[in-house]
Amino acid sequence: MKKIFAMLLVLTMVFSLMAMSGSAYADDANKLTVMAWDANFNIPALEAAAAAYQKVNPDFELEIIQQPGSTEVEQAVTLAASSGDLSTLPDITLFQDHAIQKFVRDYPDAWNTLEGADINWDDFGAEKLSYSTFDGVHYGAPVDNGTAIFAYRTDILEQCGYTVEDVTGITWDRWLEIGREVKEKTGFALLSMDHNGNDLPYMMMQAEGLSQFVDGKPDFANESLKKIIEVIVQGAQDGSIILANNWSEYTDSTIVGDQVAGVMNGNWIIPTISLVEANSGKWALTTLPTINGGEGYAANGGSSLYITGNCQKVDLAREFLAYTFGGGEGAIETYDNALLNGGVITTCISAGSSDVYMEGFDFFGGQAIYADIVAMGANVPVIEQNDFHYQARTYIGNAITNIINGGEVEAELQYAQELLEFEMDI
Amino acid sequence: MIDKKKKMDAIQRRLIPCYIFLIIVSLISVFPLFWMFTAATNTTVEVAQGKLWFGTHALENFKNLVDNTKLWTSFSNSFIYAAVQTILSLFICSLAGYGFELYHTKGKDALFAVLLMAMMIPGVATMIPLFTMMSKMKLINTVWGFVLPALSTPFLIMMFRQNSRTFPVALMDAARIDGLPEWQIFFKIYMPVMKATYAAAGVITFMNAWNAYLWPRVVLTSNNAQTMPILIANLANGYTIDYGMLMMGVLFCSLPTVIIFFILQKQFAEGITGAVK
Amino acid sequence: MEKKTNRWGWAFLILASAMIMLFSFYPMFSALMTSFKTGSSANMKYADPIWKNFLRMFKDRMFMTTLKNTFLYLIIQVPIMLVLAMLLAQLLNNQHLKFRGLFRTCIFLPCAISLVSYSLIFRSLFATQGLINSVLMGLGFIEENINWLGTTSTARGVIIFALVWRWTGYNMVFYLAGLQNLDYQVYEAAQIDGANGWHTFWHITVPQLRPVIIMTSIMSINGTLQLFDESVNLTAGGPASTTMTMSHYIYNTAFGTGTANFGYASAMSFLVLVMVAILAFINLKVGDRRD
Repeated sequence: MKKIFAMLLVLTMVFSLMAMSGSAYADDANKLTVMAWDANFNIPALEAAAAAYQKVNPDFELEIIQQPGSTEVEQAVTLAASSGDLSTLPDITLFQDHAIQKFVRDYPDAWNTLEGADINWDDFGAEKLSYSTFDGVHYGAPVDNGTAIFAYRTDILEQCGYTVEDVTGITWDRWLEIGREVKEKTGFALLSMDHNGNDLPYMMMQAEGLSQFVDGKPDFANESLKKIIEVIVQGAQDGSIILANNWSEYTDSTIVGDQVAGVMNGNWIIPTISLVEANSGKWALTTLPTINGGEGYAANGGSSLYITGNCQKVDLAREFLAYTFGGGEGAIETYDNALLNGGVITTCISAGSSDVYMEGFDFFGGQAIYADIVAMGANVPVIEQNDFHYQARTYIGNAITNIINGGEVEAELQYAQELLEFEMDI
Repeated sequence: MIDKKKKMDAIQRRLIPCYIFLIIVSLISVFPLFWMFTAATNTTVEVAQGKLWFGTHALENFKNLVDNTKLWTSFSNSFIYAAVQTILSLFICSLAGYGFELYHTKGKDALFAVLLMAMMIPGVATMIPLFTMMSKMKLINTVWGFVLPALSTPFLIMMFRQNSRTFPVALMDAARIDGLPEWQIFFKIYMPVMKATYAAAGVITFMNAWNAYLWPRVVLTSNNAQTMPILIANLANGYTIDYGMLMMGVLFCSLPTVIIFFILQKQFAEGITGAVK
Repeated sequence: MEKKTNRWGWAFLILASAMIMLFSFYPMFSALMTSFKTGSSANMKYADPIWKNFLRMFKDRMFMTTLKNTFLYLIIQVPIMLVLAMLLAQLLNNQHLKFRGLFRTCIFLPCAISLVSYSLIFRSLFATQGLINSVLMGLGFIEENINWLGTTSTARGVIIFALVWRWTGYNMVFYLAGLQNLDYQVYEAAQIDGANGWHTFWHITVPQLRPVIIMTSIMSINGTLQLFDESVNLTAGGPASTTMTMSHYIYNTAFGTGTANFGYASAMSFLVLVMVAILAFINLKVGDRRD
C-alpha cells in the first residue's frame, strides 16, 4: 500500500514537470488567440491568414485553440458570458452564422465590433453579411460562404442514361423518379443526410426563396414546406435518400463508404467527397432542384470570425482580420491558400476571381468548381433568419422520422410547430 | 479418499450449468474490451466495417494520434488530476469518516444525514453555479478547478464510516493512555489498520476522477488542460473521424484504470466487504 | 476529557463537511434561485409569475418525452441489472466453484472503462455497417443490416444492454461482499431444518443482505435518473429524441444549440432532485417493511 502510494506521488511529480515544461506561456503584444473547429477546413484557413499577415508583421503569432465543433465554441461563450468573467475566452472566435444573432443580443459585452476596421463591405455577398450585421454595425469577418451544391456521380447517372444537365433545374418530383431508377439499376442512393441535424428542409426551402419562419414565428403549415417534407419522406421510403443516424455515419458510411451517387450540402462537404480517390473524375457539381423546376440556390453552415470582449489587443485583431479575411492586401493569399489547403471558399468577391479560383479540378472532371460556386453564391436569396434555427431543424427532423414511421404530414408538422412555439415562448 | 473425490466430481458436475452461464457472461463482459484492442490495430475502414481480429495498423494509428492530438498532455493531465483528487479526497473523507464514526454524537449523526442528501444532487444542476464560482476564483483550466468540487463526497465519507465500525476502539484507548495526541491516533493507528478501505476507496476515486466527463467538459476549456475522456469524445465528434486512431485513443483512455484495478483488486474486494457490513 | 475528544471529532470532519456545503449545497441553493429567473443568462431577472419555469415544465412535451424515456430505462434496466448481479454473486459465492477470481475479474472489468469510452465502443459495434450486423449477417440471422441506433425500439434496447453491461459487475461486487459477511450458522441451521435452495435464499440471504440491496438500488436509481453520457455519446438522443434522457435535455437547454435557458434548466434539474429523493425514500421504507 505504502509503495503504491509512493509510486503515485512520484508519477504525479514526473507528470507535473512534463506538463509544466509544455505550458510555458508568454503573452506578448503581437500574439492573438483564436478558437475554431474542423482541422481539415477552418484551421488551414486560419493558418493561411496567419502566414499572410506575418509578411507585414513578422512578429505576429496566432495561437489556434481547436474545438471539436461549433457547439463547444458556443458553450464556451455561454459559460464565460453567463458567469460574467470573459477571461476564459480567446481574442477571436469562429462562430456559426445561424447562431450568432442570439449570442450578440444576449451577451452584448462578449463581443467587440469591427467598426473602424479597414474593410470594404461592398466586396462581400449580401446574404453572408446579413448574419453578422446588427443594426448596421458589423461584428464578423466572413470566412467561408457555405453555398449549397448538389454533387452527382456522372458515371452512375450515365449507367441510367442521364447526364448532369438532366438533373439540373428539374423539379423534385422528377428528381424522385430519377432517384428510384438509379436505386433500382445501380443500388446507389441519390442523396444522404445526417438526420441528427437534418439540413435538407432548410436548404430546400431557401432554394424556393422561402424561410421556415415568417415575421419571427415558425410557419410550418406552409404548403412548400409540406411538399418538401413529402419529397424527403418519399425519397427515404424509396431508398433514394439515406437518412444517417449521425454525422459520422453520414460522412464515413454514406459518402466515403460509397453508398450514394449524390451529395447536397454546403460546399464545405467537398473535402469529404474528395476523400475517395478511386472516384476521382467521376463527380460533377450543379445547383439544387426546386418544387416547380428551375435552378435552386441555398447556403448552409458558413461561419465568420468575431473579436471577443476579452480581447485586449482589439486594434491588432481588427487589423489582422481586415488584412486577411476582410479583403485587404493579404486577402488573395489568405483565400487562395485557404482554398487549396482546406477547400474554404470565400464570399469576398474580389478574392474569388483569383487564378486559383479559375482552375479546373480533375476530381470533378476538369470543372472549375470554385468559380462555379462563387457564381452560385451570388444567387442565394436572403431569407428570414431566426435565433431558433437549430431548434426548428431538430423538430422538423423529428417530424420526418415520425412521418416515415407512419405519422401524418400535416399533423406532425403542426406538432413540430407547437413544440417550437412552446420553446420560443410565443 | 476415493469417496471424497467422487463427491467432488459430483459437485463439479452439478456446477456445469453454472460454469456455462458464467463463461457466457464473462465473454460478453470482456468482448467489447477485446474488440477495443483489436480495433486499435486496424484501419478506419476496417473498424467501421466491423473487422474482428487484430490488424497491422497499430503503429500508424498511434503515430496519427500523437501527431494530431495532444495525447501526452491530456494523458498526464488526466493522471495528475486523478492522482491529486485521489490523495486529497482519501485524506479529507477518511478523516471525516473517522470523526463521524469514532467520535460520534447525536449532532454529528444529524449532520451526516444532511450531508448524505448531497448524493442526490444532479450534476447538471450545480454545473452553472460551480462554473461561476470557479471562474471567480480564477480556477478555470486548472487542476484545482477540476478537483475542488469532487474532493469531499458523501459516498466516500460513508464508506469510511461504515468500515470504521469494525475498528478496534481498544486500540484508541490504549494509545490515549500512552499519551498519543488525538490527531496522531489517526495517522499512526487508524490509517495503517484501514489499509484495505483506503485501497478500495482509492480505486473508486481514481476511476471516477479519470473517467469524469460532464464537469471537465465545462471547467477545462483549453486544449492544454483537457483530459483523456474529453480528447476521445472530441475525436469522436469531429468532422472527419479516423476510427483506428479513435480506438487507439479509447485504449489509452482505458488502460490506466484497468491496470490500477488489476493491481489493487484484492484490497478493493476487502475494502468493499468492510463497507457493506 | 469527553468534551475535548468531542471537539477533536468535530475538527476531523469539519473540512469535509464544509466542502460539501460549499461545493454541493451552496450551488444547489443558487440553482434554486436561478430556477425562478428568466432571460438572457448574462442578465437574469425574476420571472413573472415566479413559478413560471416550474409551470412550464408540465406543459413541455419534450420534457415529458425525456421523462418517459428515463423512467423506461429505470424500470427495465435497474431490475434486470440488480437481479443479474445478485444471481452472479450467489453463483460466485459457491466455495466449490473453480476460477472464481477469474470470473469475478472478467465481470467487473467493464466498470474500469470510462463512460465515454464504452459509449463509443458500443456506438461502433452497433453501427449500421458495424460488427454486430456483420456477425449476424454472416451467421444468417438477418438478411439486411439492422439500423440499431436509428430505430426507436432497438436504440433503447442498445442503451439498456450497454448499461447492464457496464454496471452489473459493479453491483455484483457489493453483493459478493455482502454475502461474505453473512452469518453461516444460520445457513447450517436452515439446512438441518431441510430448507431448499430457493427458500434459504429468499428467507435467509435476502433479509440479511437488505442494507446492501437498498444501497445498490438507491445508487442505481440515482445513476439512471441522472443518465447523461450514454444518451449523448451513444445515440445523441435520437431517433427523433426517443432515447434522450432528462439530464441530456437539461444540458441541451442550458448549453445546446444556443438556447442558454439557465432558469428553465435549473427548474428541471430540481425536479430530478425531488424525484431521486422520493424514490430513495420509498426504497428505504419498502426495505424496512420486509423485516
